[in-house]
Amino acid sequence: MKILIVEDEKNLALEMAIFLGKEGYTVEHAWKKSSAEEKIFVNSYDFILLDLGLPGGDGFELLNQLKKISGREDAVIILTARGAVDDRIKGLEAGADDYLAKPFSLTELLARMHAIIRRKHKLEMNEVMIHKFILDIRNHQVCFNGEKLNLTNKEFEIFNYLVLNKNRVISRVNLTEHVWGDILEINSDSNFVDVHVKNLRKKLAVHAAIEWFETVRSIGYRINL
Amino acid sequence: MKLQFKLALYNTLTKVAIITLLGILILASINHISTKHIQQRLLQKKSKLILNLSNVEINDLLTKQGTFTDYNLLKEEYIILKEVANTKVPLKQYFITEQKSIEGSNEEYQILIADFIYEGKTYQLELGETRSNISQLEHTISVFTFFILIVAVVLTLIADLAFTQFLLAPLYQIIDKKLNKVNDPINFNYEPVATTTQDFKILDQSISSLMNKIATLFLTEKEFIANVSHELLTPISILNTRLENLLNDEQLTSEGENKIFACLKTLSRLKSIINSLLLISKVENNQYHKKDSISIKETVAEVFEELQHRLMMMDLKMEMNISTDHTFYGNQSLIHTLLMNLISNAIKYNIPSGTINVYSLNSKYGFGLFIEDTGKGMDAEQVQNAFVRFEKFQSEKEDSHGLGLAIARSIAAFHQIELTIESHKGKGTRLKLHFPN
Repeated sequence: MKILIVEDEKNLALEMAIFLGKEGYTVEHAWKKSSAEEKIFVNSYDFILLDLGLPGGDGFELLNQLKKISGREDAVIILTARGAVDDRIKGLEAGADDYLAKPFSLTELLARMHAIIRRKHKLEMNEVMIHKFILDIRNHQVCFNGEKLNLTNKEFEIFNYLVLNKNRVISRVNLTEHVWGDILEINSDSNFVDVHVKNLRKKLAVHAAIEWFETVRSIGYRINL
Repeated sequence: MKLQFKLALYNTLTKVAIITLLGILILASINHISTKHIQQRLLQKKSKLILNLSNVEINDLLTKQGTFTDYNLLKEEYIILKEVANTKVPLKQYFITEQKSIEGSNEEYQILIADFIYEGKTYQLELGETRSNISQLEHTISVFTFFILIVAVVLTLIADLAFTQFLLAPLYQIIDKKLNKVNDPINFNYEPVATTTQDFKILDQSISSLMNKIATLFLTEKEFIANVSHELLTPISILNTRLENLLNDEQLTSEGENKIFACLKTLSRLKSIINSLLLISKVENNQYHKKDSISIKETVAEVFEELQHRLMMMDLKMEMNISTDHTFYGNQSLIHTLLMNLISNAIKYNIPSGTINVYSLNSKYGFGLFIEDTGKGMDAEQVQNAFVRFEKFQSEKEDSHGLGLAIARSIAAFHQIELTIESHKGKGTRLKLHFPN
């Protein structure tokens, strides 16, 4: 899968490129509007990660130009640190697929990209096998030997996010932000995510041993696959 | 009271005072002048009488002693002559005013009493003239004055009201358009109000230039907020992603991993502080719309659902008693944040197995929402400082950054909601949100 990062902060683009490269994506980078335009007209991408404030122009202009080219299905995720309240709405109305406010976590970016992939290319496998559990992303269900587990929405979200970021420690803060969003001040007390994880683990453990569902002391959780 | 009415009232009162004073003066001087006139006439009559006096006439007058000579129907005048013992020189001559009953009609008379000597004998002449004429005149004049007074007052009141209204119209226009109806300096109407009064022109210009300054400040602040967002959040982004990439390094020791996670946590805290401060600034900078129709009952229910797990964690009992719902226009996500902050505070500072009571009271003054907890409470000083940014109480939870109530206050102020705290140390805290009607 091909990704174009349009971002004037080279350090940030570089870190994103490293991370996404390890995930198996091919990454290109444009750091100003003119070079981004060139790349967009020449190639098509699976994802365009678009910063709004660019040297030489606004990210929205780029988005509008892209939407005028017929037959293009590049998914656009806006990444911005701009403070304007209506940027999110404006971006989504202009045809962006998602919007992430900086600073974001790379694992969160990955989760958003996966969600878009599932939405856009319906052929994507919607069931993931985790040891003997089957995670049905489309129907928000987890099954074991054909038997449906009774998970709450939040528990499913947590499980899904950990599975998506398998073999990687996900901190409580990161997990909380993913599941509850960017609720101000509430994050300060992130231990409450433990209650949900505890319940989730209990429900999974009824069916099979879950030594692969690891608690990383004082940090967070990891699912090993 | 409006300036227009005050001016009209002032004008009316001064006119009433002036006309009343004039009326009293006129009446008094009429009284004085006419008395003088009567006295003058009486003296003339006396001289004439004495000049034409004959023995026959004296006898005639003396025989009619005790009766009145009336040569007019209205008994306006009378004459009495008496012979008196020889008195000393000089001869007496004086005026008196007396109530006299003459042939059944009781009237006030101006009387001249004069002694004179005729052919060696001393006589006392009493000449009287009624004052009823003057009383009638006085009465007529006072009625007339009163009438003039009423007419003048009414006419001037109407004229004053009309004129001050015309004169003050630009002032009221300024007050209405430029002061009362302004809540957003950015969309201020700079068009000058039409007036020829210089003072109003100056007032209008001053308000406009002040508004212009405020609008500029507002825009500068908006720009500043945008800059801060970008300039602070971008480096945090870079750090965040860099640290996350470091975690992917397979050679990383678990100690290194711990330190990186600690760094990420600190970064997250920094991000949270910046975002909170930005939120407060944006709210105070009016960068949010207020177009959502919000139901308090529904929003509270939503917040509770989201916080359910935290209630369970602390084994808290929660009672929601909102009998009548309140709906108003505002910003849904801000109100959600407001209630979220307040209720999660009620959870955070509660005692295990405590209670949270959310209830409403509807009065003619508006809708009141109360959030009551059985928590640790605050003392008076803490209550006073509760809304101060970065102020933290009883916070063993080091993660708290002390901006929750500051956020709540600015959101409440943005929606004209009054937020007050009542608290007793060790007993609990009650928060009141008062929504205007």
